[in-house]
Amino acid sequence: MTADRDGRVRLTVLGGFLGSGKTTWLRHQLHEGAFADALVIVNEAADTSVDDALLWRAQRTEILSGGCVCCEGRAGFVDLLRRICDERSRSASTSNRLDRIVLETSGLADPGPIVQAIRDDTVLVHHILVSEVVVAVDALNGLDQLRGERLGRRQIEAADRLIMTKMDAAEDAAVASLAATLRVLNPHAEIAGSLKGAPATLPTVQAEAVVLPALDNSDLGPLRPTTLHLDAQVDWTTFAVWLSALLHARGDEVVRVKGVVRTPAGRLLLQTVRKVVQSPEVLRQDDARSQEGDNRVVVIGRGYDPTGLARSLRSFAGLPP
Amino acid sequence: MCASCGFPARPGHWTEAGATSTPDRWRARFRRAQVLRAVLRPYGLTAHEDTQVLGIQLSTLSGHHEIVRDLTEVWASVERLAGVAVDPLDPRYTRFPGEDA
Repeated sequence: MTADRDGRVRLTVLGGFLGSGKTTWLRHQLHEGAFADALVIVNEAADTSVDDALLWRAQRTEILSGGCVCCEGRAGFVDLLRRICDERSRSASTSNRLDRIVLETSGLADPGPIVQAIRDDTVLVHHILVSEVVVAVDALNGLDQLRGERLGRRQIEAADRLIMTKMDAAEDAAVASLAATLRVLNPHAEIAGSLKGAPATLPTVQAEAVVLPALDNSDLGPLRPTTLHLDAQVDWTTFAVWLSALLHARGDEVVRVKGVVRTPAGRLLLQTVRKVVQSPEVLRQDDARSQEGDNRVVVIGRGYDPTGLARSLRSFAGLPP
Repeated sequence: MCASCGFPARPGHWTEAGATSTPDRWRARFRRAQVLRAVLRPYGLTAHEDTQVLGIQLSTLSGHHEIVRDLTEVWASVERLAGVAVDPLDPRYTRFPGEDA
């Protein structure tokens, strides 16, 4: 299904707060034929799951109930993934081999530690690549959750793609305001609308982002994206020295780093979620159109002066400002 | 497990993904040591890599010597040895000579 060259299974993490519409969205994607060949894993914080009944179109479903896979259910999750990888490795045929897993998290899960669990496991890191974190946001209740729930904000911050669900339940102005707030929380994520799982257009009205209350003293303001342009004088090794130091010293403030960097080993897709760095994926060389964005790395974080990033990188490379 | 150094086998560190061929790997290792030496000099530390030892060799001015596996371990060791973490957003890296604070 996926034209992966490194042979790792792609994992899509589907997150979102309790009742945000994760299952409805996934159910529609399966109905439409997306993720048709995927194994769907459903995680429930409670002891019972109803979602598996809704996801009957999935080719294969596994249920992990009785604990979030980001915390108390982590060991069971890792065991399940190891078993799946083991089965896949034993399969003689590559024609119908499992290439994609979709994990629907519980509404209480933070996607960050899930990515970390895979990265930290010496077996899984070779077999599984987290390809996308999709997070569902309830168009009606999302704003209230963000006002009071740190977890809700962490879920938004971890997303590559935000799906605003139940678009018919809220007024256009309220939806636009939520979208603006999401952009402040996570400027990097793509935002899309959804109605019963089907795509819905976002309102065109302009709205201001809602200023969210600080939840405690560690709230250092909104995340800001900074794009670093790596010129020919900044090679991968220098960049890696710099970024590893940055994540060590500022790992709580740098929430996400994403970009494609050209190296002697090929075009590397680099992704971090908080302090966790995924082993970089080697991208295709032959797509000239997609190479326009190469050697640009987006750093998203808070609590520091963003202009310092580019200067610091040049300083590490021994270059003038 | 590597018989000579005792380091358990494990997936390559993400910072080493930029080189696959042996010559590229050597170039990357020596470049890494070069960049580290410049960064660590103000902290009274130095870094060294050679063909005999698998790992990054860190030394203090007082002669203390450590071998670490990758850059993540470098920064943890440096913080312990120097008593302070190397912070790329420290003004020493973000301001240039002659610039006001």
